[in-house]
Amino acid sequence: MLMNLFAEIDVSKLFGLALRTSIGVQAATFALAAVGLNLHYGYTGLLNFGVVAFMAAGAYGMAIFFTQGWLGGSILLAIASGLAFAVIIALSIGLPSLRLRADYLALTTIAIAEVLRISFRSQRLLDLTGGPFGLPSIEDRNANVSFADVITVDWNPIGKGNYGAWFLEFDEKTLWVMIIGWSLVSLASLLIWGLMRSPWGRVIKAIREDEDAARALGKNVFSYKLQSLIIGGVIASLAGIVRAFDMGFVETQQFRPQTTFFIWTVLILGGAASIWGPIIGSMTFWFVIIFSEELLRQMVDSGWIPEAILKSNDIASVRMILMGIMLATLMIWRPQGLVGKKEEAQIDVR
Amino acid sequence: MSDNKSSELGNVEPTPGSTKLDPILTIDNVVRSFGGLRAVDIDHLEVQRGIITAFIGPNGAGKTTLFNLITGFDKPDSGQWTFHQLANAKSWTTDLSGLRPHQIANKGMVRTFQLTKSLAKMTVLDNMLLGAAEQKGESLRNALFTSRWRQQENTILRKAEDLLERFKLSHMRDEYAATLSGGQRKLLEMARALMSEPKLILLDEPMAGVNPVLVESLLVHIENLRDEGVSVLFIEHDMDAIMGISDWIVVLAEGQVIAEGTPSDVSKNPAVIDAYLGSAIAEELKDV
Ligand SMILES: Nc1ncnc2c1ncn2[C@@H]1O[C@H](COP(=O)(O)OP(=O)(O)OP(=O)(O)O)[C@@H](O)[C@H]1O
Ligand SMILES: [Mg+2]
Repeated sequence: MLMNLFAEIDVSKLFGLALRTSIGVQAATFALAAVGLNLHYGYTGLLNFGVVAFMAAGAYGMAIFFTQGWLGGSILLAIASGLAFAVIIALSIGLPSLRLRADYLALTTIAIAEVLRISFRSQRLLDLTGGPFGLPSIEDRNANVSFADVITVDWNPIGKGNYGAWFLEFDEKTLWVMIIGWSLVSLASLLIWGLMRSPWGRVIKAIREDEDAARALGKNVFSYKLQSLIIGGVIASLAGIVRAFDMGFVETQQFRPQTTFFIWTVLILGGAASIWGPIIGSMTFWFVIIFSEELLRQMVDSGWIPEAILKSNDIASVRMILMGIMLATLMIWRPQGLVGKKEEAQIDVR
Repeated sequence: MSDNKSSELGNVEPTPGSTKLDPILTIDNVVRSFGGLRAVDIDHLEVQRGIITAFIGPNGAGKTTLFNLITGFDKPDSGQWTFHQLANAKSWTTDLSGLRPHQIANKGMVRTFQLTKSLAKMTVLDNMLLGAAEQKGESLRNALFTSRWRQQENTILRKAEDLLERFKLSHMRDEYAATLSGGQRKLLEMARALMSEPKLILLDEPMAGVNPVLVESLLVHIENLRDEGVSVLFIEHDMDAIMGISDWIVVLAEGQVIAEGTPSDVSKNPAVIDAYLGSAIAEELKDV
């Protein structure tokens, strides 16, 4: 039976697809969002359960500005307005809730993320956000016109064609967005590294450990938390923007709460409060997801798993169960995540 | 008690709410109730500059609550308190009521906590470095530019190492604060508060849980602090320690100041013996 299985599995495809996704744009955007969340949660201790609100703010802020043609519809100004929108979201979450207990912040972030998604979807904002259809409009999409064109076509320095080999072959558009995505991941990680080794970062970590201790030593905790929320939020919004350039459109389906939980998974998997955590976490996350999905698919297709037990339609949900089991196992065996500091994870909160 | 600073005190009346020659902190009509309980209810209290003042009183007397109020960690129902930054300068005073904790700390009035607040996942050294005030590198504008804060960081580092040495914590410098014992955390918290060079330091039971040998040296530290010009206000239950180093004692019971005076005044005061009635401390007081 087992011999039979090995004969049926296309190992090259299995690893090829998994590897392809783990270095792809999706992995880059998840890593980028996780870098932002890492500043919030890993370093400052802020429970942000609305990461996706920042991604949505970035993507929609950019897309609305561009499709409305404001100020001549410059793509750079459009990106800037996406980032500015993320700052507004950070302020509207932070100003009312950062002075309160930690759980209020958690609730506010969940609420704002959903309010944002549902408002973008609403018929009332149809002219601005495209409602349930998203942006660009259906006509533009049918005509293959998108805000992504400036970035992926006009400004693409890579000549038309396919690059790489095996399963790691990408067209010039994908490759260019991948380069942009991973460069932003590097820059953001570098920024966080620089900040966290400074006295500013020391105050941030102290707030995570004990706010009152920081206050008693004269640190304006509220202001630092707000700064952390804004910086992390802007980084996460870049993730939303990069994803919009990759997909060529934005719609509210991309910003459901489950994305927030995937990004939390990425961060915990890789290791919170470490510079490499979000990157390793995201690559591993996508590798495992695609690997298990592909493995299951091949097993179902080859009849090794009978239809009665698992149909190909259900694979997507089963891989999430596998992901959950893997995360639970990891937390028992390696609570600090793949690259987090072991000593820190072993310190129990007293 | 030969080393007591009677000169600063002059001939202050040993009565509740008495006027001091040169107060650093004045408290007026501060009231804080929890439900029906008046945890703190102080008409008038002055804390003399340049000396060691002890707050004593039975459990639940309102000592910690008073600390919380005057450092901004809790809000009173009513009342004002004023900080006098400069010696004998009635003009340069700051109304602290309504200020937030970090603002009060930045005026030079820094506290420690009865339940220690060590920053567990930071090293002992980082705990210390955090304590220093007015750090350039703590502002986002400068954080990324090492050259703007490196020099100050080095100065702070030397100060931190110096203090760690004095508090017998040097060997723990690079360990996580979580690995310290309860007593060592008390020491770390006090050393950390000193990093900011406060004018007035408020210590909530600094000796609780510290071993007797270290208590001895802690007492010496506190006396040295005073001699360096820092005003000290501390809450303690250990009568030997209180009688040993306090220049002035304020006795609280049920939220009110029931007595003030030098250690010998207080130990003779019948109201104090009453407040502690039945406890071992009452016996100790009689022996003083
Ligand atoms: N947050 C609170 N809510 C309700 N009651 C409180 C609160 N804080 C303090 N109290 C009450 O106020 C009174 C004074 O408490 P406080 O902690 O100030 O006493 P203390 O003098 O510091 O005592 P100890 O020597 O035991 O530390 C106590 O009766 C306590 O129960
Ligand atoms: Mg107390």
